[in-house]
Amino acid sequence: MKKIALILFLLISFSTFAQKYFTKTGNTQFKASVEAFEPVEATNNSTTAIININSGEIASLLFVKAFNFRVALMQEHFNENYMDSSTFPKATFKGSISNFNFSNISSTEKKLLLKGILTVRGVEKEIETLATFSKKEDKLLMVTSFGVKPEDFNIKIPKIVSSKIAGTINISLAYEFIKKK
Amino acid sequence: MSLSKKNKFIITIFLVFSVIGFTIYTYAMRPPTAIENKKIDFSGSSDELLLKIIDHTEEWQDKIVVVSGEVTTIDDKGIMLSSKIYCQLKQVTDLQKINPSNNISIKGRIIGYDDLLEELKLDQCIIQ
Repeated sequence: MKKIALILFLLISFSTFAQKYFTKTGNTQFKASVEAFEPVEATNNSTTAIININSGEIASLLFVKAFNFRVALMQEHFNENYMDSSTFPKATFKGSISNFNFSNISSTEKKLLLKGILTVRGVEKEIETLATFSKKEDKLLMVTSFGVKPEDFNIKIPKIVSSKIAGTINISLAYEFIKKK
Repeated sequence: MSLSKKNKFIITIFLVFSVIGFTIYTYAMRPPTAIENKKIDFSGSSDELLLKIIDHTEEWQDKIVVVSGEVTTIDDKGIMLSSKIYCQLKQVTDLQKINPSNNISIKGRIIGYDDLLEELKLDQCIIQ
């Protein structure tokens, strides 16, 4: 009984000490355009991300179907042929920020190393990139970008369109975190 | 001016192909259908919706719903309905029409169940 009480106490105290910042409407964009062809790019404005400001851990989640394209047919192909979004509806990222110290972040931009695992179509890939952090009023801003290849996630691009899709797809993120109450 | 039979034929063929080409192009390049014109797959209260879909949210992805409930919180991009459904608005200017604890009806697209924050997420929401 005492043990349970202690565990409960620890759990409660941990949850109150771990301060979190989060966003529900993070902007995730990808660009796979090749010059002289129709731009292959889309934006997801509904990315969820949570950052633990004590430990620098970060977790994010997006729904593949929430990527908005300018052309309906491209969006359809993206979901059905390449991303299999009915089988793999989510893409997630779990990682940590090196030397993250919330009190050191100010309105001037600060670059920190972001490392973690990106999961797309159920395939995991390690990502390492520099992310820019800054504070604006009561918000914590994070901006970063990195490149991935379709074959990293077993995405097959048919020969007929391969010249119109870039070999390296650039993913850029811009998240505005607010304090979680 | 009179055209020979051959020239008339060539002009007709050219016009027919231009029309076909143009039709294919506009079809291929059409923008995604606006939420306003999409068919509604479900309509009801927020509790009814959650009860119906909570065990198989994957099947409900990309479905259009009209859902009503109480506005519990408002942020700068959207609103929380009954503390369980986050509705991201298509136009943030609509936020001025909403007051907390009002009952409203919203049309939106289900994008999925967010297990990080444990809430259902809707985007492209418009106030009905």
